[in-house]
Amino acid sequence: MLLSAETMDIDFVRKVEALSGTSVRRCFQCGKCSAGCPMATFMEHPPNRVVRLLQLGQWQRILAGRSIWYCASCETCSSRCPNKVHLASIMDALRKLSWDAEGPSKESYVQLANKLFLQNIRTYGRQYEMRLAAVFNVKSGQFLKDLMLGPKLITKGKLKMFHKKNKNMSEIEQIFSRIEEMRRNGEAP
Amino acid sequence: MTPKKILKYSYYPGCSLHASASEYDLSTRELFKALNIGLTEVPDWICCGATPAHNVDELLSLSLCAKNLELANKVDGDLAVACAACFSRLKFTQRTLEENDVKRTQVEKAINAPVKLDSHVKHLLEILARDLGLERLAAAVKKPLKGLKVACYYGCLLTRPPNVPNLDCVEAPTIMENVLHAVGAETVAWSHRMECCGANFTLSRPGVVIQLSNAILESAKAAGADCFMVACPLCHGNLDIRQKEIENVYNTSYGLPVFYMTQLVGMACGLTAEKLGLGALIVNPMPLLKEKQLL
Repeated sequence: MLLSAETMDIDFVRKVEALSGTSVRRCFQCGKCSAGCPMATFMEHPPNRVVRLLQLGQWQRILAGRSIWYCASCETCSSRCPNKVHLASIMDALRKLSWDAEGPSKESYVQLANKLFLQNIRTYGRQYEMRLAAVFNVKSGQFLKDLMLGPKLITKGKLKMFHKKNKNMSEIEQIFSRIEEMRRNGEAP
Repeated sequence: MTPKKILKYSYYPGCSLHASASEYDLSTRELFKALNIGLTEVPDWICCGATPAHNVDELLSLSLCAKNLELANKVDGDLAVACAACFSRLKFTQRTLEENDVKRTQVEKAINAPVKLDSHVKHLLEILARDLGLERLAAAVKKPLKGLKVACYYGCLLTRPPNVPNLDCVEAPTIMENVLHAVGAETVAWSHRMECCGANFTLSRPGVVIQLSNAILESAKAAGADCFMVACPLCHGNLDIRQKEIENVYNTSYGLPVFYMTQLVGMACGLTAEKLGLGALIVNPMPLLKEKQLL
């Protein structure tokens, strides 16, 4: 994609800045974030380039790729930025915008894991690890993934077959539904 | 000698401690009992949302943590947290809601309760190193961990995001080493103390974990460590549960037991292997502990 007036979307940068509470435009490309990023090797755009693409309004290229989903939220970038750009929060904002738009990212496994994790909270109140792993394998079509670990974890008491729901499930459900309602009414991002 | 203050805390174990990290929960309860520190589990606590929630839905993440802070307020004492991720999220929520009135109003609406931010959220390490104090901890030692060379693995979230947990220096923390020195162990200087293990990619992209955790294992081994000490169930799972698999992939052998901090400190305080749940560790620590005559 060529850089042109048509492809530069600066409104998107403002949206990311509002959501993340940090400045995208303060970055001067020192590259310290990418130098310390443990996940940069897995990304097509390392962290400093994600910011540069944002500054140039090329957000479609970021959201279409897998970089944002390969961020581990280790926060090393945010800790080391000399300009106090909170890059990990920018990644959160980008993921939210992509997630809400059900964006075109190539990375589906990470998104599936996130979705099942959040569903687990709404259904059980706490993580039901056994179910999380089993449903992930089924839905991602990797029926044999980590199967060899299962028996050992069960004998060690690390994988519980059964899980009791929280007693305060109705309060938990209300948190989820109130947030949905606030969003419908435009009261929350 | 300073007069003894009675320490008691409300306790947020987090989801893993009731399942894959049950030995962390067990050893925490037993150690605190041995040290005469009160620990009352917060009734009906819920998942903090961890990384997946803040990754895609900040308001949900803040609301789940705020709800937990509200539940914790019903129990006496500061809130003791075992898991590094829960700890980081709860502290992040406190900081964000303190600084941002708009988000605070949204969260109060979501949980339908006023947010109170005056309670202290503390990681177990802080409680041992500061509230109890290293001197009193050292005085409780019955069997110093003499000759045990430990790689302290901090991982990501004990000290990050910057200025949030305020547990220790964000780049060069020493709190784990200080605790271990107080109980007689040695610590090694090594490169990967604060590098990410791959965390929750263990579910979605285990290949990431294999690669990142291998670098951590290799670095600790090269520095001459006998074992690891960790304070996070995800770090533990990746280094311990996946160690055999990593050895196979890289055609090497590490054989490094991975202990929770409460297991090592508990051992020094004379607690038995059963009480510390050492049998739940995947990399068997018994040969090492026998060799060092610690059990």
